[in-house]
Amino acid sequence: MDAIAANRSQLAAALARVAAGDRAALRIVYQDTSAKLFGVCLRILNDRSEAEDVLQDVYVTVWRKAGSFDPARASPITWLVAIARNRAIDRLRSSAASRRSEPIETAEDVRDNAPAALDLVVAAEQRERLKTCLGELEERHSAVIRSAFLDGVTYEQLAQRMDVPLGTMKSWIRRGLMKLRTCLER
Amino acid sequence: MSETDHSDTPEGGDPIVAGEYVLGVLDASERSAIAQRIEHEPAFANEVASWEERLGGLADEVKPVTPPDAAWSRIEAAIAAPAPSPAFALGSLWQNLWQNLFFWRSLAIGTAALASALIVAVAYLGTVAAPDRAPLLATLGQQGGQPRFVAAIGSGGSLLIVPASLLTANQKSMELWLIPTGTQARPRSLGLIAPSQPVRITVPPNLVPFVTPDASLAVSLEEPGGSRTGAPSNDIIAVGKLTNL
Repeated sequence: MDAIAANRSQLAAALARVAAGDRAALRIVYQDTSAKLFGVCLRILNDRSEAEDVLQDVYVTVWRKAGSFDPARASPITWLVAIARNRAIDRLRSSAASRRSEPIETAEDVRDNAPAALDLVVAAEQRERLKTCLGELEERHSAVIRSAFLDGVTYEQLAQRMDVPLGTMKSWIRRGLMKLRTCLER
Repeated sequence: MSETDHSDTPEGGDPIVAGEYVLGVLDASERSAIAQRIEHEPAFANEVASWEERLGGLADEVKPVTPPDAAWSRIEAAIAAPAPSPAFALGSLWQNLWQNLFFWRSLAIGTAALASALIVAVAYLGTVAAPDRAPLLATLGQQGGQPRFVAAIGSGGSLLIVPASLLTANQKSMELWLIPTGTQARPRSLGLIAPSQPVRITVPPNLVPFVTPDASLAVSLEEPGGSRTGAPSNDIIAVGKLTNL
């Protein structure tokens, strides 16, 4: 079992204990994942205090919903990342910050050193597949998909950023998603 | 697909809508509509979960940032309090009936009677709880009022409901209802209860799957012998959400 798989099963076990109301287990989940999830929230919200609020909301949600985590269907960290992204995006949409339109895709956001095991969401094999499949898309399609995922921006904001009509942006993303899905299921 | 796409229902249907949601490109109203679908359409929820797995790896490139120490303390404080009551989602049929109902928000102003009811309920859970499933607890109250009952459900559907304040029912019967989650959630009768003493009920096996952390319990006043229509009367005297203990 590699480090990521071991972490994955530890996290899944901790989540099962959280579902049974074990506060110490929530602490473990928090210690292992909060830096990653805070990074995700911060990237989307670009505001520390908003991101802190959302982070609290995320772990309270985990506390209450851990019972709905299904280890057969999702990996614990993708499940947690999904909660964090959903909360952060909902917050972004409801706040004035949603008018933000400057691209924050900068080189310094991308790590150049090897991240610790828990900083990685998926196992190497799965990551390679995603990379390969994104590489099979038209470059502009994969670029907007990455940027949408990381920054949580709307179709409209993406269209503005890339200076293309809204309909074109929808077409790029939808086409990209369809191809990506087919490729990943191959 | 053409180079431009103005439609709201994309070619590719639900799988692509789910992908758009997970990607995060939809606006607030579209997102809340999708959140509703996830809640009520298991097939669509699966579609969303698949996309979360497919795209999750993109988060690998986000730089982890250690949150401030105070963040954990706030979380710890938040989970020490009872879960806040979310809006109660029910279909139009039941909407009016439930509109004026309130979910008990805090045990902070609980009475001695409530405390002892809780102790009885928790002690009961200790006797029935099996390790495979977390026991559920609900405090049933009414808008602006004191909590009236505490109910505990152990795995297998053994339920204990304890009055937490003095109640008189006059000539009426009190009936306990289980309100499952979801828009199609029709209240199901769990039987009659007593206003002045703990009552033990075994949830019928066909209703056990509906005993989930987001379901609710309610008590209605009915004609002696209980509701004859299979639905609660408009006279709901207490309602509360089941939460994991």
